[in-house]
Amino acid sequence: MLTDAEIEVLTLSAQVAALAVAVSIVPGVLFGWLLARWKSPLRVPLQGALMLPLVLPPVVTGYLLLAAFGRRGPLGEAWNAVTGGHISYTTGACVIAAAVVGFPLMVEGIRLSMTAVDGRLEQVSRSLGRGRAATFVRVTLPLSLPGIVSGAVLSFARALGEFGATIVLAGNIEGETRTIPVAVYTLMNVPGTDAAVWRLVGISVVLSMLALLGAIWLGARSAKRLHP
Amino acid sequence: MMLEARICHSLRGFTLDVKLESHGPVLGVFGPSGCGKTTLLHCIAGLIKPREARIDVRTRTVCNRPGGTWVAPERRKCALVTQEPLLFPHISVRGNLAYAPGARDELESDGGWKIVEVLRLKPLLERKPGGLSGGEKQRVALGRALLSKPELLLLDEPTSSLDAELARDVLSLLLRVKHDLKVPMVFVTHKAPELLALADDCAVLEQGQVVAHGAPVEVLRKPRAIGVANLVGVDNLLRLRVVRHDEPGGVTVLDLGGVELAAPLCDIEPTRHASIGIYADEIMLCLEKPAGLSARNALACTVTQVDEVGSEVLVRVRAGTNELLARITPAAAAELGLAKDARAVAVIKTSACHLLG
Repeated sequence: MLTDAEIEVLTLSAQVAALAVAVSIVPGVLFGWLLARWKSPLRVPLQGALMLPLVLPPVVTGYLLLAAFGRRGPLGEAWNAVTGGHISYTTGACVIAAAVVGFPLMVEGIRLSMTAVDGRLEQVSRSLGRGRAATFVRVTLPLSLPGIVSGAVLSFARALGEFGATIVLAGNIEGETRTIPVAVYTLMNVPGTDAAVWRLVGISVVLSMLALLGAIWLGARSAKRLHP
Repeated sequence: MMLEARICHSLRGFTLDVKLESHGPVLGVFGPSGCGKTTLLHCIAGLIKPREARIDVRTRTVCNRPGGTWVAPERRKCALVTQEPLLFPHISVRGNLAYAPGARDELESDGGWKIVEVLRLKPLLERKPGGLSGGEKQRVALGRALLSKPELLLLDEPTSSLDAELARDVLSLLLRVKHDLKVPMVFVTHKAPELLALADDCAVLEQGQVVAHGAPVEVLRKPRAIGVANLVGVDNLLRLRVVRHDEPGGVTVLDLGGVELAAPLCDIEPTRHASIGIYADEIMLCLEKPAGLSARNALACTVTQVDEVGSEVLVRVRAGTNELLARITPAAAAELGLAKDARAVAVIKTSACHLLG
C-alpha cells in the first residue's frame, strides 16, 4: 500500500530520528542531571543555552549549524581533516539537525524527572557506602527512567518533524537527506501531486501520533513500575 | 571513644557550634526541632562539609577542616536512618537490604540472618517498599543500615513518623540492636522516654549549641534549658523576679508575687528574671505548715481547682500571684479533704526548683 519512494522516505526519517536520539541520550542525561543537581549560578545561563533551539527559528538554528559544520566551518574543516569527507548535505547532517532541535525536549524531560528524585535517597545511598557514581547508576538513573524515556520519545517525535534546520544544513537530496517534511515540501512545489502530498501528510500525522502515544504509554508504564 | 566532634558550621543564618565527646555505646542527642540535631548527624555522616570541624569516629579521623582530612560519606561507615524510612522504591525489600557494598553476602551470613530475624524481615523480603506499612518500612531501613556493617549507626528521629504503638516496637528493636548486635549509635530524638530507654550518654542541643551533657537521667531531671523542660513535660514553668541571693544559705530568693520562693543559688542579678521549672510530683501539699522542715519553701496557698485524672489527682493552687500544679494520689486528696477554696501549704524543696536560665 505504500510506494517504494514513500517507504524510502519513511525509513530515512525513522533512521535519522532514531540516530538523533541515540547520539543525544547520553549528553541529555548528563545535562539533565547537571541542571537538576548543580548548585551554581551558572546553571541558569546553561539552561537558557540548552533550551535555545526550542525557541529559535529552526532556519536560524540550521544557519548556525551550517556555520559550524559546513565546509568552511571550524567543525566541518576539522572533520574533513580527519576523515577527508564532509558533513553538510549528508544523512549525518540530518541527524545533527534533528538531534540539536530535539535536544531541549530531551533535557527538559530528564531534568524534571531528576529534580523529582528525592535527594535524601541519594544521601542515604552515600551513607550506606555507595559513592557518587554508584549512587547515580543505582538510584538517580532508575528513578528518573520515566522522564528519560518520555524525553527520548518526545525528541524522537520532534526529530521526525524537523524541517527548517535540516533543509539549511542537509539540503534536499533524494534517498540521503529527503525526510518526510522535506519530501512534503518538495511535492507541494510540483503541480498535480496533491494526492501524493496527502498520503505523506497522513503518514506524518500517524507516525507522530504513534510516537506521542508511545511516549505517554512508556512514561506511565515505567512510572507504574517504580510506584506500584 | 565512640565519637569526638568539634563542629562549627553556619547555614542560612543558623549556626551549629558544638563540642561533643562520647564513649557510647549509645549517644542520645535531645532537643526541640530546629535545634540542629539533623545538621549534626549530617556533619558526622559527611553529607555536609562543615566550615570548621574535627570529627573522630571511633579510632578514625573522618573530618579535619579547614585544610585537613576529609573522608567521603561512602567511606565513613556511618549509616543513616532517617525519620522517614527513605527506602529505594524501585527495588524489592531484599534489594534494599543488599544495597550496601558487601551487604548481599552479609545477608546470606549468620550475622545477616540474625539481623533479619531480630527485625522480623523474612516475610517482607520479596515485597516492594511501596506496599509496606510505616513500621515495616522503618524496620527495613534499620536492617539496610545494619547490613552495611556500620561503625556507627546514625538515627535521626527514627520513631517520630510512626504512631505510638509502632514507635514502641521500633524502640524495642533498637534496644535489641544495642544489646544483641552491639552496634554503637548516635540517636536523635525529642522524646524523653526513648532517651531514657536507649541512651547511655546524652547531649542536649538548643539553637545549635550543646546546653547539657551527661547521663540521660541527670540531664532530664535537671532540665537546664526551657526548650528541654517543655519537651520533657515540666509541669510548672515560671518566670520570676530575683529578689536576692543568700550565698551562705545556698539559695536565691525569687518573687512568686508577694510570696518568696527559695531556689538553688544562681548568678542572675537581683531584679532580673529567672525561669524555673518544677515537676508537679515534687510539690507536697499539707493542711498546715509543718514544723522543723528541711524544705526551704512552705508556701501558704489556696486551692483553685481539683481534677481527678485516672489514678492521680491534679491540684491547682494559687501562691502569691502564681498558680502551681501539684500531683498527688486520690488517697491523699481524700484524707486532706482538698476542694476548691481550701487553704493549704505547698512544700517545695529548693532543689526541686530547676533553674532553666
